[in-house]
Amino acid sequence: MDETALVNSAQHGDLDSFNTLILHYQDSIFHTALRIIGDEDLAQDATQEAFISAFRNISSFRGGSFKAWLMRMVTNACYDEFRRQKRRPTTPLEPDTADGEEIDSPRWLADKNMTPAEKAEADELEHAIQHCLDALPTDFRTAVVLADIQGMDYSEVATASRVPLGTIKSRLARARLRLRECLRGFEELLPSSFRLEGERNS
Amino acid sequence: MKNFRDIELLSSYLDGQLSPSDSARLESRISSDLELASALDDLRAAQSILRKLPARKAPRNFTLTRKMVGLKPPLPRSYSIFRFSTAFATFLLMLTFAANSILPRISFGAAKPMAEAYGMGGGGGGCDQPCLPAMAAATEAPVATEAPVATEAPALSPMAAIAPTSTEASVANQDSTRMAETPTPDGQTPKAAETESALQNQPQSQNEAPIPPIWQSSLSIIILLSALIMFLLRRSAISKWK
Repeated sequence: MDETALVNSAQHGDLDSFNTLILHYQDSIFHTALRIIGDEDLAQDATQEAFISAFRNISSFRGGSFKAWLMRMVTNACYDEFRRQKRRPTTPLEPDTADGEEIDSPRWLADKNMTPAEKAEADELEHAIQHCLDALPTDFRTAVVLADIQGMDYSEVATASRVPLGTIKSRLARARLRLRECLRGFEELLPSSFRLEGERNS
Repeated sequence: MKNFRDIELLSSYLDGQLSPSDSARLESRISSDLELASALDDLRAAQSILRKLPARKAPRNFTLTRKMVGLKPPLPRSYSIFRFSTAFATFLLMLTFAANSILPRISFGAAKPMAEAYGMGGGGGGCDQPCLPAMAAATEAPVATEAPVATEAPALSPMAAIAPTSTEASVANQDSTRMAETPTPDGQTPKAAETESALQNQPQSQNEAPIPPIWQSSLSIIILLSALIMFLLRRSAISKWK
């Protein structure tokens, strides 16, 4: 995929070229939105909004990392979603059991390649990590998602977040420290290597 | 717990963001400071756990349609010309309607005081006290001449109903008022003579509208034609675009 050529075509209004770029980046953009927002439906909305906004503003892209620029769009879309949520708080519609209790892992989300025990364990770990991510302030969460989950370097994270490099360093350090503290509460869910580290440290 | 400056250094070190000299200095500190080494392990563990998070695939495609981004088909240049002509012709048409309905009223409002002034001043040339009753009749005359117009108005078109109030009609009324001061040879009363002469003058003034209807018809045709051509151009552009 010739990214530069596709971006150039998209800047001249070629929607097909932009759709090719979307197909290439949609997984990582959705994953970022999901980790920042923590809700799949809202993450889908934010992803769609981010791509629409990206196409409308693609003329403002002046080179550099296109992925970082897209991440800025999705970050903005997530912040917009948070603002919308604050204005109109909603109650999530979780599927219920016969007893009226919520099902944490609905059947239709299950991965058929995993055994039920593995699936339950993976879900619990993922929920624990997401819980700790959600407990972080939004700016810290964005920094840690972009750097540690998306593997972006500091300058890309700074571009995506539109803050100075020094601020990113500080946010990342604080976010990692808080995450480690939060994850200590879920030691039994963590892989053995992390548990050993924890024991050694304590 | 180390101070935050050390934590920030360790975090940057973990990401390879420190210069070689800073890294070397920090490594020597880590080897001698167990607490610093433990903090580094904590940060590394947090980073590793996050990296172990399963990557979630997009549940659907987020590709965009033209409608979603509000893309419109490229229209030919002539489209903007017809759009301008439609808008301009519509504006002119509105202007003609406004002129036909407002201008006569303005002239009526201006003419009435003039007529009254003319009636009072014109007849008072060489009269002393005995002339006063005649002057009083003269000042009442315009009111008398307006009465038949009011009774005729419902039978005429709205445009014609407005026309008698034009300046010409008022001038005619003033003339008849002046004639009323001199006695008529056939013995008619002055008021009756005024009314007759006013009635004779009115039909001429009623036929005169500021903007003739032919202009309004022409403008309407231009608007309809331009709009039709615009519609056809747009339709062909959309079909080509699809």
